[in-house]
Amino acid sequence: MNSTTATLAPLFNFLEYSLTTAQTTFDKLPGSAVIQRYVKSSHQNDPGRTLLELILIIFAIRTLLQSRTRADRSGKHFIKFSDKEIDELVDEWIPEPLAQPLSTTEESDLAALPIIAGPNGSKPKLVSTGKPTTNLASFNFTGLAGNEHIKQRAIETLRKYGLGSCGPPGFYGTLDVHMDLENDIADFLGAESAILYSQGFSTISSVIPAFCKRGDIIVADRSVNFALQKGIQISRSTVRWFDHNDLNSLEEVLISVEKERKKRRGPLTRRFIVTEGIFQKDGAMVDLPKLIELKYQYKYRLILDESYSFGTVGRTGRGLTELYNVPASKVDMLLGSCATGLASAGGFCAGSRTVIDHQRINGPSFVFSASMPALLAVAASEGINIFRNTPSIFATLQENVRAARAILDRVDCITIPSHPASPIIHIHVRQQSPAFLVPPPIHSTPTPSRSHYSSILSAKDVPGRDAEYDAEERLLQEVVEEALAQGVLVTRAKRLRGQEMVEPRPSIRLALTTALTKKETEKAVNVLKTVLVKVLGKKR
Amino acid sequence: MDECFSQPVTGVAGRTILLLDRISPDYNHTQLLTGTKTRALNISSYNYLGFAQGRGGCADAVEEAIKRYGVSTLGARLEGGTSDLHMISEALVARFVGMEAALISSMGFATNSTFIPALVGKGCLVISDEFNHASIRFGVRLSGAHVRMFKHNNMENLEAILREAISQGQPKTHRPWKKILLIVEGLYSMEGTLVNLPVIMAFKKKYKFYLFVDEAHSIGALGPHGRGVADYFGIDPRSIDILMGTFTKSFGAAGGYIAGNKQLIDRLRVYGHSGPYAESMTPPVLTQVVASMASIMGVALPSLDGPSSGKSVVLAHGNGNGVGVGDEEYHHPGPAPPSALPTWLTLPPQLASGIEGLTRLRRLAFNSRYLHNGLIKLGFITYGHPASPIVPLLLFNPGKMNMFHRMMKDRQTPIVVVVVAYPATPLVTSRVRFCVSAAHTKEDVDMVLRACDEVGDVLDLKHGLRRGVRWGVDEVIEKAAELGSAGAN
Ligand SMILES: Cc1ncc(COP(=O)(O)O)c(C=O)c1O
Repeated sequence: MNSTTATLAPLFNFLEYSLTTAQTTFDKLPGSAVIQRYVKSSHQNDPGRTLLELILIIFAIRTLLQSRTRADRSGKHFIKFSDKEIDELVDEWIPEPLAQPLSTTEESDLAALPIIAGPNGSKPKLVSTGKPTTNLASFNFTGLAGNEHIKQRAIETLRKYGLGSCGPPGFYGTLDVHMDLENDIADFLGAESAILYSQGFSTISSVIPAFCKRGDIIVADRSVNFALQKGIQISRSTVRWFDHNDLNSLEEVLISVEKERKKRRGPLTRRFIVTEGIFQKDGAMVDLPKLIELKYQYKYRLILDESYSFGTVGRTGRGLTELYNVPASKVDMLLGSCATGLASAGGFCAGSRTVIDHQRINGPSFVFSASMPALLAVAASEGINIFRNTPSIFATLQENVRAARAILDRVDCITIPSHPASPIIHIHVRQQSPAFLVPPPIHSTPTPSRSHYSSILSAKDVPGRDAEYDAEERLLQEVVEEALAQGVLVTRAKRLRGQEMVEPRPSIRLALTTALTKKETEKAVNVLKTVLVKVLGKKR
Repeated sequence: MDECFSQPVTGVAGRTILLLDRISPDYNHTQLLTGTKTRALNISSYNYLGFAQGRGGCADAVEEAIKRYGVSTLGARLEGGTSDLHMISEALVARFVGMEAALISSMGFATNSTFIPALVGKGCLVISDEFNHASIRFGVRLSGAHVRMFKHNNMENLEAILREAISQGQPKTHRPWKKILLIVEGLYSMEGTLVNLPVIMAFKKKYKFYLFVDEAHSIGALGPHGRGVADYFGIDPRSIDILMGTFTKSFGAAGGYIAGNKQLIDRLRVYGHSGPYAESMTPPVLTQVVASMASIMGVALPSLDGPSSGKSVVLAHGNGNGVGVGDEEYHHPGPAPPSALPTWLTLPPQLASGIEGLTRLRRLAFNSRYLHNGLIKLGFITYGHPASPIVPLLLFNPGKMNMFHRMMKDRQTPIVVVVVAYPATPLVTSRVRFCVSAAHTKEDVDMVLRACDEVGDVLDLKHGLRRGVRWGVDEVIEKAAELGSAGAN
């Protein structure tokens, strides 16, 4: 025993020595007295706490020191291999090909894609035929495409600014014309402020993660467009879905979220409702006043995508807020597209100054991307000027919408889920009998019955639906090609099959325009009607 | 701090730039425009080849395009927004970068964020450089693929991760990865560093991963023919799987591209998020892309467009860094045949001949090396590769950023610079980032060096060389030719 103590004596000495050295060095550090006092007093109160704090500090240091690029060695699933074994595994590994070839259908659809020769507009020529067509496919709602004044202003801007801005907004990419357009949009909508992004799609997928973070709650319509889906996905927030365009369902979800929170006595988190004005996927329209009411009642912020309602509906094209006479300031983040609404490019978010300034630092695709070319910003500003000076175009657009619907609503073999005022009109093949999909009413009400959108399952989960959608898609593609042969350009609503939250039913998507007269519109829609009857009728 | 950021400007982001003056009545809480303007030397925009221009052959072509096409193509590529100009531009881009096919997207950020998810998914591994751009991280996160990061440009770390990833397989299940995609940038925008492509190509052979190179900053700016890192290192671009790049920098345009083999590109058209949902690139932007690219390539004379022009010519490699052997050498794609341009587009002779393009490439290469080496000789610590037009100068102390910025702007000839700090870079490596351009003259670079020299003394920034071995600024300027030549390092 004694001998062990003796042998260990130098060790003890050393330990004691190092401890005192550590102590004196520690004492020399500024602020050490405070820490000492703190530790002593807290130790007295609760010795366990000191230990806990020590562990916390060690953990924090460990986390700080851990590199993002470290190896995964520590994991319990790690298997140790020798270098030779690794070499063999490397040799054996056969990766899948980078890209699977397209299916023959996909290939033929791609090949059938119309390519427009020269300018696009109401009567574009196609590369394949060289013949002019009547365009019911492209987004030219108010006929701004080809406007000579806009072209002139674009050329002047080109001469003064060149084309590209060569920098993101933070690094000398913010031009006066960008600020002008932002002001124009805010003024036009009656919002406090607006921010311009250089692409419509990326605006939407960027605004959501700028505000919604992990732990926040998003309550969203099941059928929101793909960009919103991606924004929601990347935000990593907790998502609750409500049935498509069903505000009763929304309210149920809002109530259940509140209940859950109370039950768990969770903290108040930031909460958002995400939906669309006119839905990209079917042209349905949200009941904005009701939506606003719910948002206030349950204290949510509203992210409303007006990509298809801004510049198309409302007496002067201000979109849903104008149509329903709701001040734009009641929508917290109002998103719109200068590409679809103003026949230029880019997208915007309008809202309070705080909401907008936040995005200038936190909107990923705003901060990390070059600003929009000056001439496209000016073209968009000119578009707004035209809206201000000739609001009658919106009445004309509605006339064309009504004319088209008057013809299409009487066609038996199709159903139309779109709102009667929507300038985008989706056409479904009428379902014959399958029980799981009740055809929507011909004039769909703003809140369609729950049943016909109630499925939250993707196509793969419903037996036979994939094949059924395939068949419908083929029929509609036939309609598209036949209509084109007869001089009318329409398009199927293209989807990312297999990647969408809810597989949308195949549809043909029309976009009406004031660049065609009522007569021309009727003529083209009649051609489409004949083709629909012929192609779909054949199959029955 | 606000003062250094989001400075509004007007006019062309060229050699100089016109600042809209601001004042702050409340210590930088808000900024008000005064209505006056200040012209400053612009060493900040990504205008590498000087194609940000309101005059000249490219702008003339764009004007013609606006007259003919208007400003928009009115829709997504798959839904009625495809024009003949898209097809022409995509074919030219593919030719420019030396790939079989290319597709164009209306936004550089979206090129990554909407197409990467179509390349990889669950069960795939993405290995990503830790300094990769936000758009790449956005796309990878959406893809659902597993991600591993490796230390910036650190090839040992990369190889260790590759070996571990392949031998361990997927987490928990140990199933082999479906595929592994390595994503790197050609030229890193905050570091000025070049990817170590030769080593990566060797790894690629051994470890069978697919390679995605984001050439946002390197395309047009690097390589004797301006074709990016493959050109610079003398490597066959087709031995790389995916070349991505943007038009916002060297081409003075907007948007981006992805190039690869035709099967891959066709798949991306159908499965990428942009195809059905994002607006297509507008005609003026497409035309700027075509005109600037054709000026760099040169357009073959119609009389020479005979049987021989179809073959690509192997050109001697320009900078002695070549490692390629046999089939994998860089084959210069040669000038664009006139048939590759829209029939209505005619470039003025100095652009069509490719002479001006070549001059710009050389001027950019000179300016890059001259500024980089000049700063080093003055005693500064810089980051990055000497051939890089991005030249970061280290300030270390974030407190000096504001001062540096202001002192450069308050000079008799104001110079505007970009200062970057945390979170874009680690806290202790706050820096100024210069971007040189072919639009800068030697005198412009002289002026930047002089300004840095003075400001650097005041702010005590010269920690790279001891006082005795530093050069004086006059000596640096005198020996510009030596400092700016490729032989200098
Ligand atoms: C590496 C990289 N990729 C992509 C982008 C995005 O390009 P854009 O500005 O054209 O959207 C950038 C731009 O900063 C970049 O540096």
